[in-house]
Amino acid sequence: MTTATLNRDNLWEVTSRTIVYSAIGAALYGILLVAQIPIPGSTVSVRPAFALVPFFGYAFGPIVGFFTGTVGNAIGDQISGWGALTSWNWSLANGFVGLIAGLAPLYLSRWTNGSLRDRAIGGAVAGAIAVVIGFLFVFTDAILQGMDVATIFTTLYLPVIIGDLIGTIILVPILVYAWEPVKAQLGR
Amino acid sequence: MTEPAPGPIVEVEGLTFRYRRATEPAIRDVSLTVSPGEIVLVAGPSGCGKSTLIRAINGLIPHAYSGELTGTVKVDGQSTSELKLRDLARTIGTVLQDPAKQIVGAMVESELAFGPENMGVPREEIRHRIREVAEQAGIQKLLGRETSALSGGERQLLAVAGILMLRPRLLVVDEPLANLDPATAERLLALLRTLADEGSAIVIVEHRVEECLDLRPDRVLYLEAGSTRYMGHVEGFLAVADPESVKLPFDVVVDRVAAGSPDEEPVPTTLAGQQGTTGDATPRLEFRGVTAALSEHEILHGVDARFGPRETVAVLGPNGSGKTTMFRTAMRLLNVTGGAVLVDGASIADKRTTDLVETFGYVFQSPSQMLFNRTVVDELLFGPRMLGHDEATFDDLVDDVLRRTSLADLEGIRERPPLAMSFGQQKRLALAIALALRPTTLILDEPSAGQDHRTAQAFMREVTAIPGLESLYFVTHDVDLALTHADRILLFRDGRVIADGTPMEVIADTARWRACDLRVTSLMEANARYGSAEGKFLDADTLARRVIAQDPTRRRGSGREAAAGGLLTEPW
Amino acid sequence: MNIAPRYLGRGSWLARRDPRVLILVVALFIFTVLQVWDERVVLLLLAIAVVYYRSAGIEWRTIRRNWAFVFVFIGLLVTVNLFVFSDGFVEGLPPGDGHLLFTVPLLGTPVTAESLSLAVTQFTRYLTMATIGFPVAFAIAPSDFGVAFRRLGVPEKFAFGLDLTFRFLPSLAADFQTTVDAQRIRGFDWSAGSAGFLSRVRRSTPVVVPTVVNAIAGAEDTIDAMDLRAFGTGRRSWLRELRYDMQDRLVLLGFTALLVVVTILGFLGITSNLYVFPFLLTLAGA
Ligand SMILES: Nc1ncnc2c1ncn2[C@@H]1O[C@H](COP(=O)(O)OP(=O)(O)OP(=O)(O)O)[C@@H](O)[C@H]1O
Ligand SMILES: Nc1ncnc2c1ncn2[C@@H]1O[C@H](COP(=O)(O)OP(=O)(O)OP(=O)(O)O)[C@@H](O)[C@H]1O
Ligand SMILES: [Mg+2]
Ligand SMILES: [Mg+2]
Repeated sequence: MTTATLNRDNLWEVTSRTIVYSAIGAALYGILLVAQIPIPGSTVSVRPAFALVPFFGYAFGPIVGFFTGTVGNAIGDQISGWGALTSWNWSLANGFVGLIAGLAPLYLSRWTNGSLRDRAIGGAVAGAIAVVIGFLFVFTDAILQGMDVATIFTTLYLPVIIGDLIGTIILVPILVYAWEPVKAQLGR
Repeated sequence: MTEPAPGPIVEVEGLTFRYRRATEPAIRDVSLTVSPGEIVLVAGPSGCGKSTLIRAINGLIPHAYSGELTGTVKVDGQSTSELKLRDLARTIGTVLQDPAKQIVGAMVESELAFGPENMGVPREEIRHRIREVAEQAGIQKLLGRETSALSGGERQLLAVAGILMLRPRLLVVDEPLANLDPATAERLLALLRTLADEGSAIVIVEHRVEECLDLRPDRVLYLEAGSTRYMGHVEGFLAVADPESVKLPFDVVVDRVAAGSPDEEPVPTTLAGQQGTTGDATPRLEFRGVTAALSEHEILHGVDARFGPRETVAVLGPNGSGKTTMFRTAMRLLNVTGGAVLVDGASIADKRTTDLVETFGYVFQSPSQMLFNRTVVDELLFGPRMLGHDEATFDDLVDDVLRRTSLADLEGIRERPPLAMSFGQQKRLALAIALALRPTTLILDEPSAGQDHRTAQAFMREVTAIPGLESLYFVTHDVDLALTHADRILLFRDGRVIADGTPMEVIADTARWRACDLRVTSLMEANARYGSAEGKFLDADTLARRVIAQDPTRRRGSGREAAAGGLLTEPW
Repeated sequence: MNIAPRYLGRGSWLARRDPRVLILVVALFIFTVLQVWDERVVLLLLAIAVVYYRSAGIEWRTIRRNWAFVFVFIGLLVTVNLFVFSDGFVEGLPPGDGHLLFTVPLLGTPVTAESLSLAVTQFTRYLTMATIGFPVAFAIAPSDFGVAFRRLGVPEKFAFGLDLTFRFLPSLAADFQTTVDAQRIRGFDWSAGSAGFLSRVRRSTPVVVPTVVNAIAGAEDTIDAMDLRAFGTGRRSWLRELRYDMQDRLVLLGFTALLVVVTILGFLGITSNLYVFPFLLTLAGA
């Protein structure tokens, strides 16, 4: 009798699964970014779909999270005619959010190994941490545009993370709750 | 290319496999040998382990799926656990159950090139193979198109072609006919037959056994609950197969009924809530010269159709002919560009979708695409809450719809997470969700898709038995299902209704029938031959009983004797 | 909902370039613009960018919303910077060089000839970068992204991941539309409804959750299909062949030369200093 077990603990392993989840995450994020009509009157559009980035990172690891954020944001820009590379630093900032959320097992192992409820809360916490840290990358705009750091902080960073934190904290646990029972039935 | 090794390509011996997360093995002690030029048909009800067997043959088990494996699987004499997936891919090609999901290329060429690219085949050679395979599969016309713009049938052919690009000596095909209109199905089967005649081996999983007989399979493996129930020649299989579980040719059904297969309650063909006549009453739903477009592309070119308030209507037609689009306009999910849609005699031009949901319960083809709540109860009550129905009635409502869809018997059903339920259960939940808005009419899009014959029949039986339902309109590719359940048939083609009448009337014109890419089934032929005086289309079982009653010579001995050629592991 | 990337530049001169050229030009040009603070040179770069942009044959109509966004977004950023956070001095200019024009009422922020010149330059620089970036959206065929990034050094699996992303776009968009429709017939209209932020987030669950969970659950077959065709087991050969032609080389050479020149001039302190508009100095009474 052979009992085959696959290595499924390595955060950095790149398999077909990693690539397929990455592509699905990026495509969905791009689609939802375009589908959501921005609220008039605010420069940074409100985008509940952002929660997909920390969710894909948290559920499938840092690589999937990074790809989802970076490529998803770039695809959203590409579809809307903005050009995939025009705001490359924003795409990367999104990617870092996914990456950091994907590293949750390293800093939130108590929650990520717990009950379904713990894992859902862990998702919200990891997502929140990831948003706060990941978007620090938009301060590169200070260099690119020669802006004051205070300007970037008040007009870009703060509005974005407030919106995205709310989206993340509400939606990531909902997605974890919906996905985990399904996952238990699939998988290899 | 390597010289084909003499002897069998695949030898499976005493295979048992339990998935990592499962408590029971998915297949037990299955043995199977496939040699070049052979076609083996694997049949059996949903969940019996067909796909698991395929995964063991192509090496996904044990290379990609972990679990507990006993027995051996050898390819060209070498155990699959010692070979790499990359090496196996050169010998075995697998077409998975759902072509839409197995296609990884955005363009037809990139899909075809995917396998050879991964193997590092040089560019020139790939180009050469693309031309060769496109001709072999008859898909030259598709070259240069985007895969997302292909019809379901074209996608299935492309999926097969993508596998042929690696020139496998064994082709494994998992339920290729499920989403195909019958004409495309015939084309695909012809391709498989040719491949076998040229020396490839074929393993085909399919429960539409009737269609597969055209393929002249050499052997049949019948699985049930993971175990071999029959292994041997086709004749023997037909003699023992249960007509309820797999779809068999009508003559075989007659023999099986004569041999005394278990009694089945006759299929009710009238809705429980249907009284009175179809007559001249105002139609529930009427299309008058309706045109409609998707992305500036006209799909419906003037549809005229009437759906009565108390009747069952089936809509049949090829993939992409606009059947779904027509019902979407009726729900105001899509605006018409011309003509008018009337509900109970009044135009819906100034109505919203929400005004129509209490008249029509619409059930989509894929049931899971609307599920998001944590429990079945929340899922059921989402609609009524959105529409501001009386909260006090909710308890009774949930009880009622669960009972009417036979979900009530499942343990702890109210608290289950809907997204984690099985496909069949989700299908019934989708029905319950529609019923929770208390519609008088149900519209079902492809109620039989993704289910085996027995489950599909049971599902339709349950639907027709729902109390209080006045009318039922459904779209399907399952010809026999439509003909046996509907009072009236609408034939659809290229965005128009081209025939409208009772089942017997519509099938009388076989040329028109075939022009709609529909298949003439043995049950249709039998109905034409032995059909009843009242002009009703009868289901296989009822008709078989009638045939036997009229012609006692058809009563043969028990089929089991005919099974001598094969191995019948247990009495049926 | 239209989700297809708008490959509108199809057939234009720029679209006939090797896709790597468009990607490299964005990178080269961004590094060029980064080093320039002299508005006269920025305007020159803007002129180059406009010529490049025009060669993609993009219709104004299709992209005017993006331009509107550039003006509003960067306009706001620059304005806030100027009127709220500026101290009137600009880094790199000799201290004490602030020529006061006026002081913002209430906030008390000094607005000088230098800070105003800076604001104008910031605005033009952003415009220049956007002008170079936009053609990527219209002049690269979606199916070329994967191979282009592969040839630029992105690991093979991820380069294919880009192709796969484009493969999933139309089908997932259709699934998303189906979910939206399916919820509409339960009385839930996603796009209508209140503008409140919180309610917006909560109202997105009925459409987001089914789309996401079904997409992931449906991935099993795609994963199997890739494993079965030996994905990731060795070096791939890509069917699409990319080769620079003479014009591609010239374009790349031109933009590289521009970068080199600007870098040298920057070292010499010629282009890297802010150009303070003389008429502003006059206004400030200097
Ligand atoms: N990855 C998996 N993990 C755990 N159990 C699984 C997995 N895949 C399948 N099963 C279980 O193994 C059994 C056999 O499944 P399999 O997919 O082989 O059936 P099938 O005959 O192909 O059914 P269908 O006709 O519906 O495709 C089922 O009970 C199924 O729930
Ligand atoms: N978003 C879209 N844009 C353009 N064309 C579309 C779109 N969605 C579907 N179509 C096309 O509309 C046509 C009609 O589609 P519809 O789904 O109504 O067919 P159907 O008869 O229900 O087919 P099936 O039996 O495969 O379900 C098809 O040719 C399809 O390719
Ligand atoms: Mg299966
Ligand atoms: Mg349809």
